[in-house]
Formats: sequence, C-alpha cells, structure tokens
Amino acid sequence: MHSVTAIVVAHDGSRWLRDTLRAVLAQTRPVDRGVGVDNGSRDGSRDLLGEAFGKHSVVQMPRSSGFAEAVHEVVRRLPKAPGDTEWIWLIHDDCAPDVRALEFLLHAADEYPETAVLGPKLRDWLDRKLLLEVGVTVARSGRRETGLEAREYDQGQHDAEPRGVRDVLAVSSAGMLIRRDVWDELDGLDARLPLFRDDLDFCWRARAAGHRVLAVTAAVAWHAEASAKRRRRIAASDDHPRRLARRYSLFVLMANLPFWTMLWSLLRNTVGSLIRTVLFLVAKQPAHAVDELAAIGSVLFHPLRLRRARKARKASRRGYQLVKPMFSPPSLAFRRAWEMVQNQLSGGGPMDSAGRHHAVQQPGAEEGDELLNDDDGFLRRTFASPGVRLFVLLTAVAVAAERDLLTGGLLGGGALVPVAGGASDLWAFYTGEQAPPYVAVLAVLSTITFGKTWLAVSILLLGCVPLSGLSAYLATRSFVTYRPARVWMAATYALLPVATGVVASGRIGSAVVFILLPVYASLATKVLADTRKPARRAAWGLGLLLAVGTAFAPILYVFVAVLGLLAAVSFGGVRRGVGGNLLIALGAPLLLLGPWLATIVHDPVRILREAGLPMTSSPRLAPESLLTLNPGGPGTPPIWATAGLLAVALGALLLRRHQFIVAVGWGVAIVGVLAATVVSRMSTWPGVPLAFAATGLLVSTALAAHRVAEFRRAGGFRRAGAFLIVLVAFATPVAAATLWIMDEAGGPVRRDLRSPLPAIAEAQSKPGQGTLLIRAADAGLTYTVLRGRIPVIGESERAAYGSDFTDAVAGLASGRGGSDAAELAGRGIAFVSVPAPIDPALRRALDSEPTMARVTLTDRAGLWRMTGTVTPERPPADVAWHRWWLYGQGALVVVVLILAAPGARTAEPEAAEEIPADRERVAV
Amino acid sequence: MRRLIENRFGMLALVLIALGAVYGVAFASRPAPAAPVRAEPVRAPIAAVSTVCPDPGGAMVTAVTPPNSGGTGQTLIEDGDEPVTVDEPGKLWQKTMAAGTDPMRVHATGAMASGLEAAQTRRALTGAARGLAGVRCVDPGADAWFVGPGPAAGDLKLHLANVESAPADVALVVYSGEGQVIADRASGMLLKPGEHRVVDLKKVAPSPLVMALNVSTGRGRVAAAVEAATPEGVDWLPQTTRPAERVVVPGVPGSAGRRELYVAAPGESDAVVHVKAVLKDGSYALENRETVEVPAGSVATLDLSTGVTGQPAAIVLTSETPVVAGLKIVGTGGRTDVAFTAGAPSIDLGSVVADARSTKEVTSRLILSAPDKAAEVTVTLLPREGKAPDPIEVAIPAARTKELILKGPAKGFSVVVTPKTGSGPVYGGRVMEERAAGGQLVTAQPLAVARTWTLVPPVAEEPSAVLSQPLSQPS
Repeated sequence: MHSVTAIVVAHDGSRWLRDTLRAVLAQTRPVDRGVGVDNGSRDGSRDLLGEAFGKHSVVQMPRSSGFAEAVHEVVRRLPKAPGDTEWIWLIHDDCAPDVRALEFLLHAADEYPETAVLGPKLRDWLDRKLLLEVGVTVARSGRRETGLEAREYDQGQHDAEPRGVRDVLAVSSAGMLIRRDVWDELDGLDARLPLFRDDLDFCWRARAAGHRVLAVTAAVAWHAEASAKRRRRIAASDDHPRRLARRYSLFVLMANLPFWTMLWSLLRNTVGSLIRTVLFLVAKQPAHAVDELAAIGSVLFHPLRLRRARKARKASRRGYQLVKPMFSPPSLAFRRAWEMVQNQLSGGGPMDSAGRHHAVQQPGAEEGDELLNDDDGFLRRTFASPGVRLFVLLTAVAVAAERDLLTGGLLGGGALVPVAGGASDLWAFYTGEQAPPYVAVLAVLSTITFGKTWLAVSILLLGCVPLSGLSAYLATRSFVTYRPARVWMAATYALLPVATGVVASGRIGSAVVFILLPVYASLATKVLADTRKPARRAAWGLGLLLAVGTAFAPILYVFVAVLGLLAAVSFGGVRRGVGGNLLIALGAPLLLLGPWLATIVHDPVRILREAGLPMTSSPRLAPESLLTLNPGGPGTPPIWATAGLLAVALGALLLRRHQFIVAVGWGVAIVGVLAATVVSRMSTWPGVPLAFAATGLLVSTALAAHRVAEFRRAGGFRRAGAFLIVLVAFATPVAAATLWIMDEAGGPVRRDLRSPLPAIAEAQSKPGQGTLLIRAADAGLTYTVLRGRIPVIGESERAAYGSDFTDAVAGLASGRGGSDAAELAGRGIAFVSVPAPIDPALRRALDSEPTMARVTLTDRAGLWRMTGTVTPERPPADVAWHRWWLYGQGALVVVVLILAAPGARTAEPEAAEEIPADRERVAV
Repeated sequence: MRRLIENRFGMLALVLIALGAVYGVAFASRPAPAAPVRAEPVRAPIAAVSTVCPDPGGAMVTAVTPPNSGGTGQTLIEDGDEPVTVDEPGKLWQKTMAAGTDPMRVHATGAMASGLEAAQTRRALTGAARGLAGVRCVDPGADAWFVGPGPAAGDLKLHLANVESAPADVALVVYSGEGQVIADRASGMLLKPGEHRVVDLKKVAPSPLVMALNVSTGRGRVAAAVEAATPEGVDWLPQTTRPAERVVVPGVPGSAGRRELYVAAPGESDAVVHVKAVLKDGSYALENRETVEVPAGSVATLDLSTGVTGQPAAIVLTSETPVVAGLKIVGTGGRTDVAFTAGAPSIDLGSVVADARSTKEVTSRLILSAPDKAAEVTVTLLPREGKAPDPIEVAIPAARTKELILKGPAKGFSVVVTPKTGSGPVYGGRVMEERAAGGQLVTAQPLAVARTWTLVPPVAEEPSAVLSQPLSQPS
C-alpha cells in the first residue's frame, strides 16, 4: 500500500496557490496527508494553506528559506506511516497537477517497483497545451536540457514509450514524487541549492545509487515557473535567477562528476564562459556577461564549498557509470552552438547558457518578410531565397569566366603581386614596419581562411562578382521592396564593367570597395533615416567599413566625404543627430587609419592609388566609355553592354510618380561620371566613381521598377511594354555575363606565375640581404628588390630605394665597371636575378663585373651573386610609438565593432517587469 | 521652368542635356594621344677596364687610351714584377716582351679606362711560327666563341687565364664538321685565382679539321684566346660574336689570297645560312654560294676566294637559327701566312685598334662596311711619336665597303674610329700585311666596340617588376 504526503511549499504565490491547492485536493487518488509550508509569504498564502490542510498542518519558515530547506523541515517533522510504502509528493505553489496525476504516478510506481523518483509531464500554466518538460538531463556544459524544441505543443509526441513512462536522468521538483526511504537514504534535496538544480542534483544521486527516475507522461501538471520567469521576487537569494541557475548548474556538475572528469569539465566550462562573456559583450548584454562571469567565478573561487559537497557525494560518484548514459548527447552541443550563431545573427543575442529552467523560450520577434516562411527546413528555406539563387548563379558565371584563374601556380598580374606567403607573413609585415592598413585587413581574412593568403585574395578578387551581387541584394533589402527589381539590380551591379575590369586587372582595392559599396549605401540610408539607436549603430558600422574601404582605395573617402557633407547640409536640420552620426561615420576612418592617412596627406598623389602595385590607366578614356559606366582597361566589355541599363534608367524618367527619385539617381550618376572623368584624366582607373554612378542609377531605377508589375497586370499593349522593358533591363546582365565568359576574364591577371625569386637566392639569402630583380621593360630596365622572399601584398608601397640606388643599378647594367656593384652590395644586395628575356648587353655587363659571379644562366633566367662583402641592410628603425599605435588601433577596432554590432533586439525583461516592493509576491 | 518639370518628358530632356554636357566635358578634356616617350640609353664613360694579353712572350704589346676629357686615371700594366703605370691619355705604351712571359693584365681606372685598348703582335720570320700573329687583349668573361681550323689541321692552343679573385670553372664545347664532339676532357677545368693554363685542343678533340669552340665558365670568369699554328701559317683566332641569327664578318682585305668562310650552327636545329658579300660597289649574294646548309651542331666551310679575293669586303650571314662565323685570310707567296677575322658587332660607340704600322714593307688596311645604311666615320691616328695627323673623314654609302690604307708614322700608331652621329651601323677590321722573303705575312683583327663608352639603359624602380610581363598601357 502507498501512503502519499503532499508537501506544498508557498512563497508569495497566492496568485496560483488557490488553483494548486484545489488540484491537489481533487486528486482521483487522494493524498493521504497534506502539509503546507509557508516561506514567509506576505500575500496571504499562509491562510490559503491553512484553509486547505488545516492550520496545524502548515509549517511556518523564515522568508529567506529555500525550497529544499522547507521540504527538509517537513520531512523531519513527519512521522513515519507504518507498514506502507511511503511517498513524498513535492508541489510548488505554482504547479497544479491534473486530477489523475497522482493516480498515474502511483500506477507507474507499482509497475516499476525499483523506482525511487517519479515526475509528471509539465505543461505551461497559461498556454495549457505548451510542453515544458518530460524529464530533464544535463549537458556537459552544465546546461539543463529538456530535449524539447522551443514552443513544442503536447500532442502526445513524447508519450510513445510503453505505458507512458520514460527513463530520465531527472525530473523537476514541481510534482516530484519521492519514495521516503530513498529521501532518507540520500538525505533529500541539498539545502545548499536553495532554488535551482536541486532536483537535478537529487535525481542524479538517486540514479547513481541505482534507483530509477521516471517521467510519467500520462500524469500532467501545469507549472507557471514563477521564479525562473521572474514573475515574482526571490527571497532566498539576492542574485538574479539567471545567475543562480548558471551557478548551481555548474556547481551540481562539479559536485557530482568524478575527479578527473570534473577537472576537464571545469577547464572546458571556464573557457566556454569566457567566450560567452565576450559574445554577450558584443551583443551588448553586459548583465548577461556579468552573470556568466560571476557564475563561473563563484564555482572557481569557492573550492572548499565544492569540496564539502563532493565529500557528501562520494557514493554518487561511484555510480557515475549509471548516470553517464543519461547525459545529453554531444550532437546536441553542436545544435546549441548553431542555434547560438543563428540567434546572434538574428539579433537575439547568444543563448542563455544555463538552459531554460523549462523549454519555453520567449516568443522571438519574427523579423522581416523572408523570415515569415512557414517552411522550416534550412536547405529549403535557403534555396528558396532569390538572393541565394542569384548568388549561386553569379558564382557559376564567375567560375565559368575565371576557369583559367582557379588553379595553377601563383595568382598575380596587373595590380596584384604574385600572391605568396601566409597570414603570419602579413601579420609580421604589418606589425614589423609601417605597412599600409589594408595589410591588416588581408591578414585578418587570411587568418580566417586558415592562414592561406591566396585563398583570401581569391575570394575577394575572383569572388568579386558573386559577392558584390549578394551584398547588393542584401543591402537593399530594407528599401527596395519589389523583389524581382532587387534581383535585377543586384545582377546588373555585380556584372558591371567595373566588376569584370577589377577581376581582369587584379585591382583588389577596387574589388573590396565594389563589394562594400551597396553596404555603404544601405548603412548611409539607415544613418539618415533610422531612429536614434539604430542610426547610431549604423553610423559606427559605416565608419568601420569606410575605414576598410579607405585603406584599400583612399579615393573612396573623398567621395563619401563630399556626399556626407551634402547629406549633412540637406538633412542636418531635419533630423536630430544626423550631423553627429555623419561625424562618427566620417571620423571613424580618420581615427582608425590615423598615421597612414597622415602619410597620404604628405603625398597627395597617393589618394589616387589603390592597394597593390601601381597600375596606371590611359588618360584618353573615350567619353562614350565614361557615359556607359565603362572604366576601360582589360576585362571590360564593349561599351554597348550597358546600353540596356541606361535605356531602362532613361525610360524610368517618364514615370511621373517616380520622376523625382529617378532624377536624383541620375544626379548621382552624373556626378559620379564627372568625377570619373576627372580621375580618369589623371591616369587613374575610374572604377570607384563609376561604381558610385552605377549604384545611384540602379537603386533609383529599381525603386521605380514595381511599376512594371503594374503594367503587366494592366494587360494589353501595356503588358507587351512591360515585357519589353524587362527584356531590355535584363539584357545588360545577361550580355555582360556572356561576354565575360567568352572573354575568359582575360587580362593581366594570371594563375600560372612562377616565383620571381629564384630558389637559390631564396635559400641562400641571409637576413637583411636582398635580391635585385632586373627586368627588361618596354624601354630600358625596371628593377625591384626582393628581401629574401616574394614580397607580400602591400610591400610594394614601402619607401623607394632612391635615385642613388637606381643610378648604381643603371651603372651595373651598363657594365661600365667602377664601384656600382660594391655600392649595391653595401645596400644589402646579395643576388642579382634577371628573368627572361635576358638582354645580351645586360648579360655581358653582369658577366664582366669583377665583383660578381654567375650562379646560373638558362633560357629562363640568370642569377648572379656578389662575391664581395654584402652589408646587410639595416632593419627599419623600430619606431617606439608605432607599436603603441598598433595596440591602440586594435583596441579602437574592437570598440567600434562593439558599438556597431547589432544589440539583442528583444528588450531586457528586467526593466519592464520590475514589480514594486510593496506588491512583492510568491515563492519558488 | 515649372512647365518643363511638369511635362512628362521634361525630366528626360533635362537629363539628356546634362548627359550631353558631361560628354562635352569628357570630350574636351581628353588629351591628345601622346607619343610614348622612349627613354634613350645614356652614354657614360667606362670607369674601369681589365684586360688580359694571353701570351705576350716574344710579342710586342701595345696599350693605349685615346685622349679624352674625363679627368684623371691610371693604367696599370703588370709587366712582370714591376707594374708600369701610365696616366697620360693618348700616349702609346709599347714594349716587346721577353720570351716566356706570363699572361699580362692591363687594368685601367678613371679616365684611363675610357677607351683602353691593348693588343699583342708577334712577328717571326723563320720556324714553325713564321708569320704575323696578333690578338686583341681579351676581357675576362663567362662565355667566349671561336671559329676556325680544327686540331687536325694544325696546332691549336687555348690560353686560359683567371685574373679574378674567385676560382673559375671552365667547360669547353667543341663543334666539328661532323657535329658536336663529346669529349671527356672538355669540362671540369678549375682555374684558381691567378692561375693560367694552356690547353692543347688536340688532347680534347683530336679529329676535327674545322671547329667552333665555346669556352664557358660555370662560375667565375676567364680570359680565353686560341692560337692556331697550321701548315698555312700562324695567327690567333679572334673571339666571335655569340650565336645570332645575323652575323657580320667584317675586315676582309682587298689583297690577293684565299678566303675561306667557317659557319657553325651550335643550336639544336640545322641552319640554312644565306651568305651575302658587302663589297665596294654593292652587296651581292655570291653566285652558286647563296646559301650554306649547316647541320645542327656542326661547322661548314665555304670557299669565297673567287667571289671576294681582291676586293675589300664584309660577309653578312643570315639564318633562322643562330650561327657563329669566322673567316680565314691566306696571304700570298711561297710560304703563306694566315689571318683570321670573325663575326663582330657594329662599332656604334667607336672602336680603337691598338697596333698598326705603316712602313715600306708593312701595309695596314682599315676595311669599313656599312651593310645597312650609309655611314660616316672619323678615323684618327695616334702615333707613338710625333704629332698626330689630321683626322680623316670617311663616308661609306649604304651596302658598301671601303678600304683605307693607313699612312702613319713608321714607329707605329693606334687607330681610333668614331662614327658620326646619325651614321648607320659600321663594321670593320684592320689587316696588317708585311712583304717578306718567301711570302707575305698577314694578321687581321675585326674592330671591336671601344671600351670608351657604355650605354646606360634607362632604369626605373618599379615594384611591378615582380610580374612576369611588363605593364603596357592600352590606349
């Protein structure tokens, strides 16, 4: 026979207590004894308990008591029921069991006599079908896992096992039915865990002692989770429940694991906590970050407490093998990590590391039209998006066009040095001397691409077309709502002559700017049009990305600054904070690039230069080329390729309703073309200004494009007109893609370059020694110095060797004898390398130089060595402030990143749900 | 204005006008096509010259630096243990050396280097070495080519001297009439700094009747010269130009005697060589000897006596595969003497011949050819003693050869040939003949580019030199 004592613990819970008590008393299998415990409630809970169980069956506890303490107090006083199997049924004041709950629980206890602990299936108090938990387990991170999806409705899907019984690691203490002898044997719930995870700890110990813990799915209870959801104030501790939950999670884990496993888990959780802290900071949830740190800290800094707890659980650790299989599988950890990334991306912030006390998540605010799809399959959702389809298509076009550039030797040519070396070389270069800051950007990217610089450069340069298409599609999401128009706009943008020209001539600087330009447009729109906080964040983001773009192509900054000033003049008076935000956006690059920009101011010609090797462009670019947004040079299509775009944009001027916006677009385009004219006449490739012009034209046309849909619906000859417009509009990207593929992305960029540095010279150069590379050019000779390795990207921008050095090289090449070779050796030149075609005069000159000896001479290259003393070149003087500046720059980038990062979108519930002190309610 | 904006086509019109204006701006600002500025090489005086007279024993060595305005400098002539220093440009230094003298290094710096020329001429009237044998003192180099009779046709001695501070690793490649000779002893010769050596080519390749010889060093530099003693006479083989698709063999004198052309194709493929003679009345292909077929790696000969003898000439060879060429000049008389000339570069920067004489017996001829364009040169004589005669101006019409009999002081003189600005390329040679009992003595020397000037190419520091092709601007 069973004897059941129901223990109802109340703490400011009169809101739910009435229902709870009614449910307890109405059980089909009535409880044998009922005891109420009141943890110092101030809302009349005590009276309710008294009404239900009789005044003498209510135990009064101090307000600060925890749940476990309360139960211990009752059990201590409870006389044994002779002869029966005695059970204790723990009921929270906010947990109403179904009328048949006890019946089913006891039935299960009869079926499985070895069972020590049973628990009902918990559903939500308000949303009565919502499943909270059917038994719980724990992850190795201490996270409490229910194994349920977020917001899962109970349709019996977890009841599948025979007789509605599941073996679980633990059940919640709400509705937990415990055999009294086991309670006594295990010394009950641990009073050192006053609020959370006491149930997990107890069940763990029960399991380890060889008992069974069952979740009985036929038995149902509705639980309000009042403490965990902060529906009431906790009196047992002053800390935030989240912090408590996290701390006790870790504590339970550390107390119960065997020693070595515990050490490993401790290490793992410490690292994990630090990472999470950073993520919380980035997501601007400092409260979470503090909780995370405090939780791990309280475990780490109280080893004695842990030791005491471990001592008490000696027995439970011996049964670890019984518990271990019940842990959540490691695959779940990956799922959590993925969810975390998703959350971060969708603005939800990293997830709660403690695990919900139950499975309910706050209903996430669904964002954006594309997120409202009801098909949840990740792949299906992904590939249904036109943006992804466009990206895949553009990637296919790029692969088809760049088929010769994808594999082979070194990638280089045009403005791109043969890409060699790895991320470490770039970092060493950037931190070692005053390198241009885009080296740091490439170093970061190379680090991400497993240290392979060539991969990072390939993605940026060869992937310029699909990436810019994607960025154009995504960035215009907020203001171009008509999706076909966005697809057209993104495709046209990605296949502009500028893009194909960028790829063919290896202009990685323009490539980066081209990819970022739509993002600039989007962020600038936010800065001008959004509300205060998002606008401020957008301003920081724009500032950071502008710094990146400016590092690659300084001319960008000039354009943006001019446009920004115009915007400040036109919007500054209208919207508050626009001026400040523009100042942030334009000031951040100055701050982040400081000293480097100062060197540019010293030498203003460099504004026109972009990242990579200097590569001039013809100043005679045809006017029709400029007007058709074609920057000329290798890889650009014939000028008619963009005719469709221009025709559509001109046609859009006839739409009365959109005349103004299209005219503004044309205004931007004309300003861009004028700027391109100026830049082009200065022998600079006008890619960046023409991209600006095209962006203006494309965006304004796309904004008016939904009218085409109206025409189509109108039918008749308007429908034919719409069809014609679409045909003309799409002619531009289709023609550009076709021409590009046919042209095989032909240009100076190649993938079959050999290392310019002979292997012997590379192997035998000592630190500080260089190899003089002399190459026959159109007229005369050109030279450069390789310092013991192939120069990394950006090294070409270091200070020139000067005219003395050039004269010495000329003298050496002329074979006039004299001290030229000695002078070069005095500047650290140990080898002279001449690649084919080798000018016979040069060969004779080098051969006849008494202080040089020939190492090799083949059809492909010749190499000579200095036989005299080579004075290693002095390493550049270590400027003291430079190191400090690098630290400062890194710190600044982090700060700007944090300021620009999207915060969690849901407002922190604390502020909204603060309950006035005089209305404090309920417990546990 | 308001009506314009309200009109449906008003905005379009405005934009089109703006576009027209932009077109106008772009059109007007378009610069005229600029002719690409070609930086020309700059002439610079040579600052240091080092040259080696390979076997001065018993020969007269001449060293001279033409007068110039290049400041100070000095020439160091390592005559035995007592180096002689000369620091006066325009002054001939001449000395007949004792037999058995080691190779002599002549080293000049500063103004004295500019145009330094040295030569050795040996004259023997009796014995196996009867004849005039002269050679221009050679620059140490990594690569030298010689064409002439082979070891089977006489004694061929290769004189090697390493005057550098680094050891030299010398390899020889011999091409014969039958193809390249594979020889064990052709490689692996190591000359320590300061070492000199005479190699009997018979020991390297005993069989070739005609040969082309390539002396190259794997490392270091060596001064190489070949002395040929054949039954027809003795002389030194002048260094010839490297294998090229067009070779000019200048300096064929207008005197009597046999002329034999050697052509070698050291490459991998057979050569069909077109032969043309540039004579004093024009440039001709010789009848029945328009082409020579030279199998790959072999040497062919062609007797040019009937076409060229008695006329001053230069031979122009063109071929699709690179060739080297030389020419044998045989003197007249009962006991003949030979002289050799060989492929030579044009003397765009001028040329200096150290040794020339003009007596009752000795005739010095200067043969100048302009195979391509009309040329004009100034010929100046630098006498060993006495006042220098006035410079002679010589005009050579296009595709013609001119011969100049040099009349100068009997004691000997040097010759400076300077092309005038705007002159076409000039090739030339100097031939000395001496009437002697038993037969004429003869020696020849193709004009080499003077060490006066060098062309300093335009050089620019250009980071893009790391790329394999130079950047060119599409216009």
